[in-house]
Amino acid sequence: MTSRKKVLLKVIILGDSGVGKTSLMNQYVNKKFSASYKATIGADFLTKEVLVDDRLVTMQLWDTAGQERFQSLGVAFYRGADCCVLVYDVNNAKSFDMLDSWRDEFLIQASPNFPESFPFVVLGNKIDVEESKRAISQKRAMAFCQSKGNIPYFETSAKEAINVEQAFEVIARNALAQEESEDFSDDFPGTININLDNDQSGCAC
Amino acid sequence: MESTKLRSDSGSTVEYTPPASPSDSYYDLSDGDEEEYSTITHSSTGRGVKLLYSKSKVYVHPTPSAKDNIPGFIALVQQKPPPHPKDESGKGKDKRTPTQPSPSPSHGSSSTSSPRIASTLLLAWLPESALGDAYNTYVKVDLANEGGDTPPRQSYLVPPPPTTIYVPGTSAVGSYAFAVPVNQIFSLLVRPPSLGWWWGSVVINTRYGDSFPALFFHDSECQSTIAQSRKRTKANFDPFGESGDMFWGGDEVLRWLRKYVRVEKSELEPSIYLVDPSADDLKSFISAPTLVNRATGVEAVGGGGPSMDPLTRAIKEVKWSFLEKLTRVTRFSRRTVEDILDNPRVPLQVRRLLKNPDVQSLQDEFDSARLYLARWAMGIAEQSDREQRKIVWAGKDAMEMEDSAVGEFEILDIETGALKLDSDRRKPVTMEEWDRWFDPTTGRLQVTVDEVKERIFHGGVDPAARKEIWLWLLDVYPWDSTRDERTALMNSKRDEYVRLKGKWWDNVDRRNSDEYWRDQKNRIEKDVHRTDRNIPLFSGEDIPHPEPDSPFAEVGTNVHMEQMKDMLLTYNEHNKGLGYVQGMSDLLAPIYAVMQDDAAAFWAFVGFMDRTERNFLRDQSGMRSQLVTLDHLVQLMDPKLYAHLQSADSTNFFFFFRMLIVLYKREFLWDDVLRLWEVLWTNYLSGQFHLFIALAILERHRVIIMDHLKHFDEVLKYVNELSNTIDLNSTRVRAEALFYRFKRLVEAADRKKSGANMTGLPEIRQRRVGPEPSEAESAIGGAASGRAAVGGGVAAKNAADRVVAAAGSGPNISEELRTLLDRSVIRVQGDQS
Repeated sequence: MTSRKKVLLKVIILGDSGVGKTSLMNQYVNKKFSASYKATIGADFLTKEVLVDDRLVTMQLWDTAGQERFQSLGVAFYRGADCCVLVYDVNNAKSFDMLDSWRDEFLIQASPNFPESFPFVVLGNKIDVEESKRAISQKRAMAFCQSKGNIPYFETSAKEAINVEQAFEVIARNALAQEESEDFSDDFPGTININLDNDQSGCAC
Repeated sequence: MESTKLRSDSGSTVEYTPPASPSDSYYDLSDGDEEEYSTITHSSTGRGVKLLYSKSKVYVHPTPSAKDNIPGFIALVQQKPPPHPKDESGKGKDKRTPTQPSPSPSHGSSSTSSPRIASTLLLAWLPESALGDAYNTYVKVDLANEGGDTPPRQSYLVPPPPTTIYVPGTSAVGSYAFAVPVNQIFSLLVRPPSLGWWWGSVVINTRYGDSFPALFFHDSECQSTIAQSRKRTKANFDPFGESGDMFWGGDEVLRWLRKYVRVEKSELEPSIYLVDPSADDLKSFISAPTLVNRATGVEAVGGGGPSMDPLTRAIKEVKWSFLEKLTRVTRFSRRTVEDILDNPRVPLQVRRLLKNPDVQSLQDEFDSARLYLARWAMGIAEQSDREQRKIVWAGKDAMEMEDSAVGEFEILDIETGALKLDSDRRKPVTMEEWDRWFDPTTGRLQVTVDEVKERIFHGGVDPAARKEIWLWLLDVYPWDSTRDERTALMNSKRDEYVRLKGKWWDNVDRRNSDEYWRDQKNRIEKDVHRTDRNIPLFSGEDIPHPEPDSPFAEVGTNVHMEQMKDMLLTYNEHNKGLGYVQGMSDLLAPIYAVMQDDAAAFWAFVGFMDRTERNFLRDQSGMRSQLVTLDHLVQLMDPKLYAHLQSADSTNFFFFFRMLIVLYKREFLWDDVLRLWEVLWTNYLSGQFHLFIALAILERHRVIIMDHLKHFDEVLKYVNELSNTIDLNSTRVRAEALFYRFKRLVEAADRKKSGANMTGLPEIRQRRVGPEPSEAESAIGGAASGRAAVGGGVAAKNAADRVVAAAGSGPNISEELRTLLDRSVIRVQGDQS
């Protein structure tokens, strides 16, 4: 794996139906927004090549159906993920409340080697909608993210392309760190990498 | 048009006269003649060029998909000579266009033909869509030339082709039209049609190092080429062109050019024709293995010397969109390349392409291509497929004898061919035909239900008759009902709908404070607003939203979306346990669009949901069992493909999830979805015929999948992207043939088993597909060697029998597989969900 010239980073995007998973992904990859994406059925992915600190990596972004009834299908593609993006709609409290169960479900099904340090990123989407409709304050969302081990948090608008690029840059960076640490632990089981701890977002240790 | 077309014999306005015979054609015009030589009598604006030759159905293929091909004309036109002929006739001057110096050191060359003529001629390609009024003129000139040796006697004037010069790799994508002065053409890369690379093509390389997009000659569509080809056959029983190969459209282009300029076939590069070559050019093509490609300045190195095959060269020269796309896709390792290189099934072109050093370095530089290659290869296969059906002069037998990677397919195709019904039975059932099946007084069906279903299974339903017939197919009307009974039934159904809807509509408390109900409403509304909005019925928001606190209050809604929302909410009252699941709105929309009557649509939807409810169960058991059944079906019918899917971690068949859960709603275009669904609803062969549709789609792509797709993600992506590319009719027919073959296999297995049990042989479950394929597997998946296919159904049957014989006790036919022979639909028992 380490000898592979190209790095493939597998990123899973989860969240309730209609929070904008498909839109965020398309805004990031294709720089397009359409108000008329159909509800995602099953799963699909898009790829994008990005430079992370002079390293060319390929991000494979997996878009999934949001209805919880389809969660059990996740096992087919959660495996080997390098980062998980949890999306909610800032105007929809229920989609925020569900973040925790999306996270748990992912950890169960993907069963990463070190669930404590597995990188998540939370996106609060649809901030373009008028302020009066807002259901979840930034403060509350950040408190949640902090409590879950300092998960990076971004407020985004797929429609207006706000913060999308920035968010995915962090996603790529964290996914790459994850991929490298996994590689390392795969290759040299038993050895302890001192840098590893520095790479992690901190509080999990 | 009359304004641009002037007849040469119409008097003083036209001074140009065509030469008396082709042998002394324009070559012979001396400089002295130039003064009188006025090619065209110009209209007052001085515009218009003379169309000497044209040929239709010459395509640019901008993408690997045949859908994007652009039909056009290749044409040789003549424009007025440069205004100052004397400046040019000076000795020792560059004889090419005066404005642009030639990059090649060909001064003082022994160019043999008149540069003056060459400079007035333009070789052009124009898309049909760009011709406007001139289209007819192009057609006329094309046909007027059929096999003739001279340009048309009449002069046809057309608007000058666009003078924009296509610069590869820059803009021009989208327009493609070009016109290049013949004296600027350095060489033509000519690839006659072949079996593997179906269309013949010509690529024009200019003296300035540019190459134009490859022009593909779709000869089977081109009237003049067909006529010319026939004429040759009649005249001398020789359908072949001068080179001894099959006559094709590209020969004509060479013939045109040869009338005016010298065209030399390169001895080192048989596919390269040098146009008006200089002495240096000629020499370099004989003495040294030099590059032909001035376009990119790529020196031919190592194995890529003069013998480099024309396709790779063409790709290098044209910078086909292929290379751009090659750089985009996902993963590709060198190992993969090697796999493909070594795989004899990969189309020769792809293998050659991958050996090209340039392409190889691209693979290293960029992540890659497997998916793209796969789709590209499929494009080629489809193209030649279509051609094989149309082709007139190639014997079908010869085609079948060709070694083919498709293998088993051929058998299937023959089986499919055997299924051909007379065309009447493939026509949709109209209301008239439908009415004839009923007793005029009682309104009771007078033919058997099976007869009706057979007709619809093969022919479908005429759109105007769907509103009625779907109510039968979806079990709203009983097959033995009378007209009066149906009227009464529909009335009570309408009342029942109103009653069910009233349960939430009239209950204001519930609508305001029942959390579950509100959640359901939000989900439904969210999905209705993103279901088939491209269909006119559902597009637009022309009424204000009834509830101000809805997320859609601002955008508004339309009456049909509101009806859909109401029906889905009401379905929750009818089926209390299920709850709304994503995908249900996809199933309802076509029914509502056909019925345009909420109560009728609702009950038809209830009938559809009865059939498909298991797809939406909370525990996913219905989907799982279908995916398992599909798994068994592929194991039985195509063990080789199955083994490949195993190696690619794809035997969960998750990549068929979307297709199955909403019955291909997302895979076919709207009209095809309606047709497919009514076919499925007949249960004519099987209550689960949709799984044979799945198998048919998989079989269609089996070679690509097996050759190119090595991982689950690649398989999933490939299958997902088949959406809107699947041809419904051939898929239906193939699915039917697969069903019959399946049935024969099961019957043969059963026969064998009863025999085996008597002799006490143990039963062996065939589930395992190990590294050593059993004889049975090679028999069925191993193509039963294409050649054995002659004999059609019989051969297939033999192959099927051999599976059983070779495997001793034969394949184990699972319970899941047996359900496929059942014509009843698997419904959810009771009200558990």
